[in-house]
Amino acid sequence: MKTAQPAHLARWAGWRLLNPYLLILPFFAFVGLFVFWPVAYSVFLSTMEWKLGYASREFVLLDNYVKLFASREFWDATVNTLVYTVFMVVFSIGFGLLLSLAITRRERFSSMWQAVFFLPVAATMAAMAVVWRYIFDANLGTLNAILQQIGLRRIDWLNQGSTAMGAVIFVSVWSNAGYAMVYFVAGLSAIPRALYEAADMDGASPVRKFFAITWPLLSPTTLFVMIIMMVRALGSFDIIKVLTNGGPVGETRVLSLLLYQEAFQFFDTGYASGIAVVLFILVLALALLQMKVEKWVHYQ
Amino acid sequence: MGSLPVTATSIRRGRRLRFSPGGAVVWLFLVALGVIALFPFALMVGTSLKPIEEIFESGRLLPRHLTFGTYAEVFGHSLLMRYLLNGVIVTVVVLAGQLLVNIPAAYAFGKLSFPGREALFSLVLAALVFPRYIAAVPNFLFLSRLRLINTYAALILPFIGSSLGVFLMRQFFRQVPWEYFDAARLDGCSLSQMLRHVLMPLIRPAIGAFSIFSVVAHWNDFFWPLVVINTSKMLTPPAGIVYFADVEAGTRWNIVMAASVVIIAPLLIAFIAARRQFISSLTTTTLKG
Repeated sequence: MKTAQPAHLARWAGWRLLNPYLLILPFFAFVGLFVFWPVAYSVFLSTMEWKLGYASREFVLLDNYVKLFASREFWDATVNTLVYTVFMVVFSIGFGLLLSLAITRRERFSSMWQAVFFLPVAATMAAMAVVWRYIFDANLGTLNAILQQIGLRRIDWLNQGSTAMGAVIFVSVWSNAGYAMVYFVAGLSAIPRALYEAADMDGASPVRKFFAITWPLLSPTTLFVMIIMMVRALGSFDIIKVLTNGGPVGETRVLSLLLYQEAFQFFDTGYASGIAVVLFILVLALALLQMKVEKWVHYQ
Repeated sequence: MGSLPVTATSIRRGRRLRFSPGGAVVWLFLVALGVIALFPFALMVGTSLKPIEEIFESGRLLPRHLTFGTYAEVFGHSLLMRYLLNGVIVTVVVLAGQLLVNIPAAYAFGKLSFPGREALFSLVLAALVFPRYIAAVPNFLFLSRLRLINTYAALILPFIGSSLGVFLMRQFFRQVPWEYFDAARLDGCSLSQMLRHVLMPLIRPAIGAFSIFSVVAHWNDFFWPLVVINTSKMLTPPAGIVYFADVEAGTRWNIVMAASVVIIAPLLIAFIAARRQFISSLTTTTLKG
């Protein structure tokens, strides 16, 4: 890319004030202080035995990681994160894709439907999670009121292991499917119309058209959305914190919540930093994957 | 960026409005999922209009006796009003700071050439992928060292430098040809006139997209206020509503719902008024979830 500044412009009165280093300095001051330094410091802290408020800190190298990998809590949280991520991603993509296919056929209403399904994405999640808590509430909840009306027994959705994770995933899909949908709508519109017209002339069925044209041509989009959704799933906090706070007995506690609890409720700084580093490595791997995919999507 | 290609192109395709069984199934599917998507919003509004005796009938969406007393109570509740004020202060100051700090950097990266630019820009890209959790503990320690816990500064300072903002706006600066600057110079523009009348209008779409993202992200942020705030009156709306529901409201769900409506309303109204800009803004800012 050529963005060299022409010489005569550089001599323009006042132009010299726009020294590039001066222009980027404030940005790097803030980002250095609140992003780069903390990230490096986190890695450093993860090698320390240190409870916040205690004077002593001791260098323990990998002890926190040893403790981490030996702890039941960490593996439970990892498994929960995995389960949550897989279901959230698969269902969000599934529904997002189905919605986008359904919407692009209803051309006149496409924009209205998009708004309907994007509404949960734009709404303040913590507040909506409070509403969902009311829906799932054991005594007053809407869901149980409906169950009772049709003669079924009440279920304590958020406080029993068999349903809590399901409820959390459900709400998560509710808030993310519309997000996936928007990408699929864009992906679908990029598929040349002529392909479908040719298929129509050959008398192809809608199912055949989907598997021969739509699905293969949409696969870069699908991969892209999958990675975005995985990053979102790993970063999820609001829904779980508000709906179950990780309960019952840790059944819905994911890594981000475990990190929050260890760091800011038990103040086990070193240990929490270890969790942060693990989470960071996972997200970094996904980000690198995304850059690869993005290149692939753009260059083909 | 701009608007999504879909809505523009697909609308203009010929439409066929004959009945088909497949089409009916698709309609049913859309309506069913639409009901699920909107149900919590309907329940929230419906419950917020119920008197307290009716909240035990949670299977009923609409109130038997309409009341607006819940809203009167919310607007009369000093703590809830404080949350809204905190939310406005934090989102406005964060956005203003972000624009002030990130636009010059975006301009330098997009339009000027200087030694080390590529290396420094790769740092911007790197900062783009750091999840917020990894910086949380050190930032908390740093802010408490500065005695800023429980202040607006703690809610604002960590977000001023935005690699995402620099990244998005740089793309726009790159597309502005030098000839525009030349023309401005020949017309005798001063530097500040050039910035105001040539540059700003050209990058307004990028600023708009970034602003929507920023306001949505910081109005909705729940995690960071939980970390750096420990007195109820300094909470922002999301953490505030959860605190209110957990600690103050008990089973007065109608008041909780009214408060939720009030907290969600500003963004939702903005969303409905500028759907396309919202959707494209929130989807071009992919990595930060």
